[in-house]
Amino acid sequence: MSDIKQHLDKLTQELRRGTLTIGVLSQLSKPQYGYSLVTKLNGEGIHVEPGTLYPLLRRLEKQGLLESTWNTDEARPRKYYMLSKRGAEVFELLWQEWEEMVDSLNHLIGLEKGGDSDGNHR
Amino acid sequence: MEIIDRYIYAVTQRLPQSQRADISQELKGLITDMLEERTDGKRTTDKDAEQVLLELGDPKQLAEQYRETKKYIIGPEFYDPFMTVMKITLYSVVIVMSFEFVIQIIINPASLLEQFVDYIVSFFTMIPMAIGWVIAVFVLLEYVQVNGQDLNIEKNWTPSDLPQLPDLKRQIKRSEPITAIIFFIIVMAMAVFSSNYFGVWRFETGEFATVVPFLNEDTYSGYMLFILLILNLAIVKEIVKLIKGKWTSKLLIFTVVIDIITVVVVLLMVTGPDFWNPAFMQELEQAGMITERSESYETVEKIWETATLWTLILMIVGLIWNIIAGWLKVRKMNK
Repeated sequence: MSDIKQHLDKLTQELRRGTLTIGVLSQLSKPQYGYSLVTKLNGEGIHVEPGTLYPLLRRLEKQGLLESTWNTDEARPRKYYMLSKRGAEVFELLWQEWEEMVDSLNHLIGLEKGGDSDGNHR
Repeated sequence: MEIIDRYIYAVTQRLPQSQRADISQELKGLITDMLEERTDGKRTTDKDAEQVLLELGDPKQLAEQYRETKKYIIGPEFYDPFMTVMKITLYSVVIVMSFEFVIQIIINPASLLEQFVDYIVSFFTMIPMAIGWVIAVFVLLEYVQVNGQDLNIEKNWTPSDLPQLPDLKRQIKRSEPITAIIFFIIVMAMAVFSSNYFGVWRFETGEFATVVPFLNEDTYSGYMLFILLILNLAIVKEIVKLIKGKWTSKLLIFTVVIDIITVVVVLLMVTGPDFWNPAFMQELEQAGMITERSESYETVEKIWETATLWTLILMIVGLIWNIIAGWLKVRKMNK
């Protein structure tokens, strides 16, 4: 059983890695700082470590999908991240891709199980 | 809290200078946020801080997450040839040194202990030098390769970019460059350590007595630099052949360029002043190997005086041979 769990953990981790970016982009139409985003994502059941999210935010910024500003008004300076114009466009397209992927995959698995919600049979 | 600063330092120290300040400030904010959530506004203790740092994990791994690409001096692509060449080099260095040791013992059995100490010492001088050279060559290759790739990235890949299937005619047998590398390393070691034995050997009652050297020992140290240069060039050429594994027109051009450089350097050397031993004939006579005005004396003198000319002729014939052989390979390739 522990063997199965190991495989599952590894595959889940891979799936998470790919979907995390969509999750992050979806939350940044308004500026957020790193840790508030960690709390929010974890609260919504998307598990993420700060040690993964912080570097990811920087990478997305470097790719031009996010913009950042240091906010020094609060008690301590925090770096706020927000979608750039390009980032917002990319997110819309990525979301569509995601929806299509989910639909196709569900449909595919439905076929294999011997029929699906669309009423198609093999 | 000091422990937090130490953690941040441990992470940022592994990152490029330009990102350190920013990431450091960001991490500080993150850790403070995490601490606050943990203690809910109460005073934080060292224990809390430690727990938070444990949650963030090994600073080495965090730094790795921040770094986008792994940086190599010698990348995975060159790892295998690097190890091969390194092994060949180290084996040949050890063989050469042992060979040298045995020869010294034969020539001068009385100095066994001294020679043995020299032999052991040479491990500490020669081996690091050999390792250093191999690394230097591969770092250069990696650098050229990586920068070359950057230039090609703009182009779209097409199926015609695919490498040709190995063609027996064009394949370079691995043994060929490996043998050559061993040969050049041995020559290099001899050029450095035993140039004084490069000459006519004289034996007295079956025992080694003296050498009449071909080269001018006073000027040799200056020429040694050039000799090492061309030998290193030759080794670089063989390493590239080993890595490529087959003849391509680029490789041919590369080898011809190195051959030409070699010929030019050798030409400059042998025609330069005082390369050969100026007192060769006298020393030969003093050693009692020939007597003046005898027939053999004149023959040897003639050979000796034309040595430079013959070196030139041999080098040029060799170069032309290489170019023709290369041209034939190109013709075969284009068929």
